[in-house]
Amino acid sequence: MSEQVSLLLESLREKAERGSLLYIGENIARIDSLEKVLGKPVYTSDLIPKGTIYAKLFHSSVPHGKIKGMELGTAKAHPGVLGVLTWRDIPGLNESSAVLPDRQLFAESIVRSTADILGAVVAETLASAADAAARIKVDYESLPAIFDPLESLRPDALKIHPKGNIARQMKIRKGDVQDGFSKSDVILEKTYRTQFQDATPLEPEMGLAIPEDGGIKIIGSMQSPHHTQAAVAKVLKLPPEKVRVIQAVTGGAFGPKSDETPFDVCSTAALAAMKYRRPVFCGLDREDSMVMHTKRHPFVISHKTGVTSDGRLLADESRIVGDTGAYASLGVFVIVRATFHTTGAYEVPNVKADSYLVYTNNTYTGSLRGFGGPQAIFAIESQIEELARKLGMDPLEFRLKNMLVPGKKSATGALMDASCGLPQCVEKVVTSSDYWRKVAQYRNQTGNIRRGLGTALLMHGNSLGPEGNDYGAVHMEIESDGTISVGTGLTEYGTGAVSGMMQVASSVLGVPLARFKLERPDTSKHRESGPTVASRVVVIGGNAAFKAAEQLKNRLVPLAGELLNVRREDIVIADGVVFDRHSPSVSISWDILISEAYRRGIGLREDGFFMAPAAPWDLETGQGTPYVQYTWGALVVEVEVDTDTGYYNVIGVHAAYDVGKAVNPGGVLGQIYGGTVQGLGYAMMEELLHKDGFVVNPNLADYYIPTSMDIPSEFKAFIVEVPGPLGPFGAKIIAEPPIVLPAPAVRNAVLNATGVSVDDLPVTSEKVLMGAALKRSSPTLGQPRA
Amino acid sequence: MTVIASGTDLIPRMRKRQIAPSVLVDISSFQDDLRYIRQSDQVVRLGALATLTDVLESPVFKDELSILHEAAGLFGAPQVRNVATVGGNVCSATSSEDLIPVFMALGASLKLIGAEGERITPLKEFIVGKRTTAMRSSEILAEIQFEYPRERSWTGFEKLGRRNMLFISLVSMALSLSLEKDFAVRSARVALNRVAGRIPDLAEKTEDFLVGRKLSEETIAQAQTVLASELALTSDFRGSATYRTEVAKVFLKRLLQRCYGKIRGLA
Amino acid sequence: MAKRVVTMNVNGTVHSVQVNSPDRLIDVLRDHLGLKSVKEGCGTGDCGICAVLVDGKLVNSCLMLAGQCDGRRAMTLEGLLDDPTMKKLQASFVANSAAQCGFCTPAMLMASWDLARRSNGPSTDEIKVAISGILCRCTGYYQIIDSIRQGCREGEP
Repeated sequence: MSEQVSLLLESLREKAERGSLLYIGENIARIDSLEKVLGKPVYTSDLIPKGTIYAKLFHSSVPHGKIKGMELGTAKAHPGVLGVLTWRDIPGLNESSAVLPDRQLFAESIVRSTADILGAVVAETLASAADAAARIKVDYESLPAIFDPLESLRPDALKIHPKGNIARQMKIRKGDVQDGFSKSDVILEKTYRTQFQDATPLEPEMGLAIPEDGGIKIIGSMQSPHHTQAAVAKVLKLPPEKVRVIQAVTGGAFGPKSDETPFDVCSTAALAAMKYRRPVFCGLDREDSMVMHTKRHPFVISHKTGVTSDGRLLADESRIVGDTGAYASLGVFVIVRATFHTTGAYEVPNVKADSYLVYTNNTYTGSLRGFGGPQAIFAIESQIEELARKLGMDPLEFRLKNMLVPGKKSATGALMDASCGLPQCVEKVVTSSDYWRKVAQYRNQTGNIRRGLGTALLMHGNSLGPEGNDYGAVHMEIESDGTISVGTGLTEYGTGAVSGMMQVASSVLGVPLARFKLERPDTSKHRESGPTVASRVVVIGGNAAFKAAEQLKNRLVPLAGELLNVRREDIVIADGVVFDRHSPSVSISWDILISEAYRRGIGLREDGFFMAPAAPWDLETGQGTPYVQYTWGALVVEVEVDTDTGYYNVIGVHAAYDVGKAVNPGGVLGQIYGGTVQGLGYAMMEELLHKDGFVVNPNLADYYIPTSMDIPSEFKAFIVEVPGPLGPFGAKIIAEPPIVLPAPAVRNAVLNATGVSVDDLPVTSEKVLMGAALKRSSPTLGQPRA
Repeated sequence: MTVIASGTDLIPRMRKRQIAPSVLVDISSFQDDLRYIRQSDQVVRLGALATLTDVLESPVFKDELSILHEAAGLFGAPQVRNVATVGGNVCSATSSEDLIPVFMALGASLKLIGAEGERITPLKEFIVGKRTTAMRSSEILAEIQFEYPRERSWTGFEKLGRRNMLFISLVSMALSLSLEKDFAVRSARVALNRVAGRIPDLAEKTEDFLVGRKLSEETIAQAQTVLASELALTSDFRGSATYRTEVAKVFLKRLLQRCYGKIRGLA
Repeated sequence: MAKRVVTMNVNGTVHSVQVNSPDRLIDVLRDHLGLKSVKEGCGTGDCGICAVLVDGKLVNSCLMLAGQCDGRRAMTLEGLLDDPTMKKLQASFVANSAAQCGFCTPAMLMASWDLARRSNGPSTDEIKVAISGILCRCTGYYQIIDSIRQGCREGEP
């Protein structure tokens, strides 16, 4: 036989050995890459049909007030305007909420923030809708307002909601902190603060509603089509089956599109569509998006921590306060994650935590990548650094001594097992960053330019954990030409996770990803799969896809065995070839197998469903296993500071994440690079500011996200693989974790370079210089000793 | 009459409903007449429609005039540089227009053309207040001109903001230093994005202090003190007055040292 | 709302379009000519997502009024789909996972193509400057930079 054929047979033999791991770990091109580089018209605003009218939302101009009246006549009479929708036009429930029913779609009598929506102008063009909206006059009776969450916590504070200002409370009671403190040689009490961060997906939120079959079809930019369906159905007073929601290709999300804003734009578009019997587009421009969609919760976190003189953590007591703005939205889960991560990646035998999710009259906060993790980890990692300094210990040495490793227990008393890959992550970054040599070298610096290294370690509970039932459903169908069609309610919006999930299926089935096609998530076709959040697509969706693929394979293998006259156990499918593992030249093509299956009427549709094991924990003590598995990580950053101005750059990043199993390493790296840069923005420059309840900088000229000129010139990323119990092939989540560590690592690096502790984010040049002014007289600038 | 050249400043303001001009007069097509960068005799002239990319790529702005190359390179982003004009920059008259302090440091004058003919006016007198210029109705800015720096002169630019590119300057400073044969200061122009108001201006007390003095660590430190007393900056969400003043002092020292070093290096 | 006719060459074909006076180039391209690769991210010229080539220069199409486009030549991604340099860049973007949500991808490709024309084998720093006016929130830029370097023939790392 020819050399080519024998090479092919050898390759098939080798692939047979890999089993279902066939395509795992390969950098296979994402299923949706091509349409993006070709600039195809697949996003929501590309799909607007002729005859579409436009709905423009208008929102409150006071942070807290009673609505006395609205003058809509001028707007209604504006050329091109069909009408103005308000709460009176809502046939069903005037509600647009994710969890707690504390938020209306259109405010009826009270506004609690400047983001509160009052209604929508509907017009023939967007320009006339916007012009008319600018002419609406609302009369308010202003009420006193609260903008500081600590003020909101006070028992005598004005009530923002009837039930009071605490939307949710959590606690952890592990061991006895008083006993721990009594045995401590050093106790440190400090408070840390974080800021509002804007998600800034480059495509803002939008929805298109088209009346159809007595109901409504909605196409939109979102993370959770089924949740949107439920929200719109409630507002329209329609059975959910009459509300069909399709997720269009979505230009970035990062959290807000899993929260209440898609409900707002889609419900509004649907209301207008039902009323005027025409397609309606409702979208937010950048400014509206930055005012109205959910931001990251600012937190005030106080730690009181006790250690022994040789550097062992004994006790930690924390008070955690999250500002959820005027409405709770997904904040009720953000506070949970923040609480469970209060002691980060360290073992602390005695832990007491009390956390409060509080209302204020700021614009509301909710889901944003990291979901409470960045705030909690910023606080604990800063505290760890300060403790090390106080003890005169190297901060890495202190971390190594206390970090979670197999056999140690977390703040919730969960035992870490062999799937904890933290030590491997630490080893990678310490080596890569040349940590010990540089730290020694940087102890003796002169001149105004100073360098420093900063470290942070990550423990990130996987998937929904304690937030509720964690399941995913994937439908898979083989068409007569051999194409494998995948449909799921889980959504792709840039992460590559859905493609990764399909790569799992491709690997199990033995057919290249190029033969697969993804249907647009459609509530009329695809089962509810839970929200696409918490980075859970590859882990939860991947398991469901694994099952569906396995089930399909089980239907085909007997047929293949019969056709080839080979035992079922010896049938292998790889690279679209169906063959005998002992004699690969005995084979048929995938296409022929499928043709035959069709000829015989063998059903080729399967549903894969996976539900993660419950994550039980005690409400009173916070003890238990709120997460079934964790992603681990370590980050070392190097900064270079101009101590004359406080301006600094991150010149080196060394990042390692234990992802269990990297299904698509290029995709994993993409999340590491992208998440880290978004985290650097959070650390250094991003700050959505409120003044008296008004967003001061709802635009990209004054809200700064990193540009290509801001990224570190050196970025070394490492994938560590210590399999976990939950995901396919041991996979762990990766989409959110990389955003968490940059803030504390940068903060700590700046501290080591300059001696300045910046305890509130972002770490701006002003804070570095002004802090340094206080330290100028200190001879120990830049040294990690007390 | 609202004139539009590139629209990079005007269009965002129209969208935010800050202005609503009923008529826009587009002068961008006068490329041949108004878009040039020339140096003849000792005068440098920029047509009002010269873009920031034209400035960045022009061979005229090197050595003593590299300040314009530096400032253009830190201005906006490639797409903005390709259309934003030097004239538009000047006429916007806000502290976020980096070229205004640069032209002030160069001692620029403006040629305005209108129904009543041509006139030349110093840039400093043209910028009257925030977004307010001394332009008469039916006038346009045609040219920015300045004298080529004399021997023993150098210029420099510094700016600082929240990130490395595409940022509104918290502090920006343009400095032009000219020395006598004995290296005492012959003249100094110190221009900032803000001095005692919210518009670009020259720090004249600091300039007066420097004239006639020989630069040393001590005189520079004294100049910094004069600058600090002359600045009356405001705090806003971008930064505090204290911080801006501190950065301005650092820039003054840096630019004086750099320009002085360049001149001495050439001497 | 005043209307006017604008005549311009877009992707090699001359078009005369009737526009509303406040319309911008991005509106002409997307709404009148159906060229949806041009995206709007902010409308104020701060994100670069709408970048196209006008008279051979990269510009933000949201910052150019339709009235200013009379007689000009514009090029969008649709006009370069058969161009060999663009195809090479697109293949490189796919191979290097440089398109995540894809919203900045057309603008990044236009900037890359423009760079490829001007520079044979650009360095990392040159690439960073070329895309410095286009924001990406997903990738962190690294894989985009790698894609451009490879797509522009040989270059220093």
